Amino acid sequence: MKRFTLKSMGVAAAAALVLTACSGDADDTDSGEAYDPEAPVTLTFTWWGNDDRAERYNEAIALFEEEHENITVQGTFVDWDGYWTGRSTEAAGRSLPDVMQFDLSYMREYSENQHLLDLSPYMGEQIDVSGFDDALLQSGVIEDAQVGLPTSTNTLALFYNPNLLEQTGVDAPGEDYTWEDFNEFIAAVTDAGEQTPEGEAIYGGGDYTGTFWFFLQWLVQEGKTPFNDDGSFGFTEEDMTTFLELTASLRDAEQVYPVARGIQLLPLGGFTVNESASEISWDNFLAGYVADSGTEDIQMMPVPTGSGGDKAMFFKPSMLLAAGANTDNPEAAATFIDFLLNEPEVGRIFGTSKGVPAVAAQRDAMELEEGSIDATVVEYEEAVADHVTEPVPVPVKGFGSIEAEYKRLAEELAYGSVTVDEFVELWFTEAEMATQ
Amino acid sequence: MALTDRVTRTGGLTATPSSSALKRRRRGAETRAGYAFLAPWLLGFLALTAGPMLASLYLAFTNYNLFSAPEWIGLDNFRMLLADPRFAQSAKVTVIYALVGTPVKLVAALAVAMLLNNARRGQGFYRSVFYAPSLIGASVSIAIVWKAMFIDRGIVDQIGQNLGFDAGGWVGNPSMTMPMFVLLATWQFGAPMVIFLAGLKQIPAELYEASSVDGAGPVRKFFSITLPMLSPVLFFNLLLETINSFQVFASAFIISGGTGGPAGSTLFYTLYLYMRGFVDFRMGYASAMAWVLVVVVGLLTLIFFRTSRYWVHYSGEAK
Repeated sequence: MKRFTLKSMGVAAAAALVLTACSGDADDTDSGEAYDPEAPVTLTFTWWGNDDRAERYNEAIALFEEEHENITVQGTFVDWDGYWTGRSTEAAGRSLPDVMQFDLSYMREYSENQHLLDLSPYMGEQIDVSGFDDALLQSGVIEDAQVGLPTSTNTLALFYNPNLLEQTGVDAPGEDYTWEDFNEFIAAVTDAGEQTPEGEAIYGGGDYTGTFWFFLQWLVQEGKTPFNDDGSFGFTEEDMTTFLELTASLRDAEQVYPVARGIQLLPLGGFTVNESASEISWDNFLAGYVADSGTEDIQMMPVPTGSGGDKAMFFKPSMLLAAGANTDNPEAAATFIDFLLNEPEVGRIFGTSKGVPAVAAQRDAMELEEGSIDATVVEYEEAVADHVTEPVPVPVKGFGSIEAEYKRLAEELAYGSVTVDEFVELWFTEAEMATQ
Repeated sequence: MALTDRVTRTGGLTATPSSSALKRRRRGAETRAGYAFLAPWLLGFLALTAGPMLASLYLAFTNYNLFSAPEWIGLDNFRMLLADPRFAQSAKVTVIYALVGTPVKLVAALAVAMLLNNARRGQGFYRSVFYAPSLIGASVSIAIVWKAMFIDRGIVDQIGQNLGFDAGGWVGNPSMTMPMFVLLATWQFGAPMVIFLAGLKQIPAELYEASSVDGAGPVRKFFSITLPMLSPVLFFNLLLETINSFQVFASAFIISGGTGGPAGSTLFYTLYLYMRGFVDFRMGYASAMAWVLVVVVGLLTLIFFRTSRYWVHYSGEAK
């Protein structure tokens, strides 16, 4: 394996060196030629996701090709982790796809190194942004360049399983519940000592401090701005310690869902095998939860209230669309992006599986049956609109790495192989290197 | 132009045949043909192995994230390695694996080889059966099957429960993952076994007969005849398996889902190298790690060769 690793790393590295070296002048292809909307063009397009999403994209692509007979779209997809490995290798060779599904976590890194096309010249031309909320549009802007356009929004939600609550005799938290109340809820469900039909113990929930975005949500509730414009952090070691200590007593009393079992269930989790009664997550996960758990009845409610008395939630723009700066067909790419953003049919095809569509025309096109998954998610976002008072934290450079590091450390904390203090120290050391 | 040139030259040669010149010519032609046949491999070697290795040697001294040009930082990567707790963890995991896994695997291989060597009938069949795990062992599917066997409520857990231990799945238990990996490696003892078997067949039967006459028992025969006579083969297997054990990647990657978890207990060296390079995009750091591995494995090999004269006996050697 050593030879393989060396070889493949070397190959990638050498390819990168060679390709960057010879592509230096190939970037300036902005020749004076006028764009011919009828010329035959092939676009490459890539996204992360599962088979279900692929089917939906293929349907949308077929529809697009029907409307634009001169444009052929070649779509490919992989899972989240593999996706970024692939993109970084392509970026090194300046051979990014024409159009990509993109995420805020990596946008700054790519944009600062001029890998993403500034879409502003095409807005009002090929791309209609009139259906966008200004703040949402702004989330795709980095250093005055519109490098991404979000197709949808997500916000955090507490999901719970009413069947399990009924069995354990614990009531769901009230809407004004605090993080403390949430802890008591988790402990109460676990302490009820009930079992699933398979004989597995039922828990109240997992250790929510292990997810980096929940830490960010909590920081925002505490009135902090997680990331400053200059890329520095708006939080300290003490903040992270305080957050991790929130569930210290649950961890000590083993009242949270056991990490050893959680790891073995991947890609499922305690909540989706109906052994854990609650989970905080992004609201577009509902469809996946219902499909994985086989439980139709999963309820959603807003996240716990912070110490200031506010929920201070935010809409996270998600599933952004971006174009590679190296594209030869920026106009065609823009046309395709516009289609994915605005075409009502596309809204119908995807429903809320990527989040609630950003553009009203697509939201309205969804066939919302009473009580359907899509309807539940849309109703949820409408219901919590009053709690959504804050802008989304804009991820710094290296966000993907520091988020992954947080997750790894959280696992070690759950196993007890690091303490909270060690966690914080290790994370800040790592973060300093990743964001420099 | 070159072609016509050569035609006239060879024409000239046939006109005045000088046997030594002809031989030299022919040898030259053979050399050229040799290089021609070698070319596909040589090109591949230069472009896909030697070149990239040199590039990674350069990158080891740079800060390189794949996006922007590499920036020379001298020995900083190596300094960071020394201070990196995960680097220490990955080295620990790998060394434990090599120290425990290699001997266990070799003992298993030798034991089975000796059993097979004594078998009178169906040796070919048993040899194939025992070799089979090694053929499929390195594949992705086996790691997945292995994970399914050792998971919570998996077959191993259930057998354990029936026997009265409720240890839970091994996959989620940081102290049980290493035994699981050693078992997985041991199960693939086929390659060293076949080599041992070949070695056993080389030992002259007269030696055993003579020792029987002198009244040696099986244990004495093993330590006084089999082991010394087998030592060159043992040396070869030990070297190969040690190097292999430093290169575990696929099984660790699959069983831990690419994270080295639970709690860093399967963070093998090459897996950590991969994570640094392709998850965190710190190619300079990963290259530095790769070269540390090359140097360590190189040193180990050197030590093996240097110490081999004290315990490896080649037959026909003057004592």
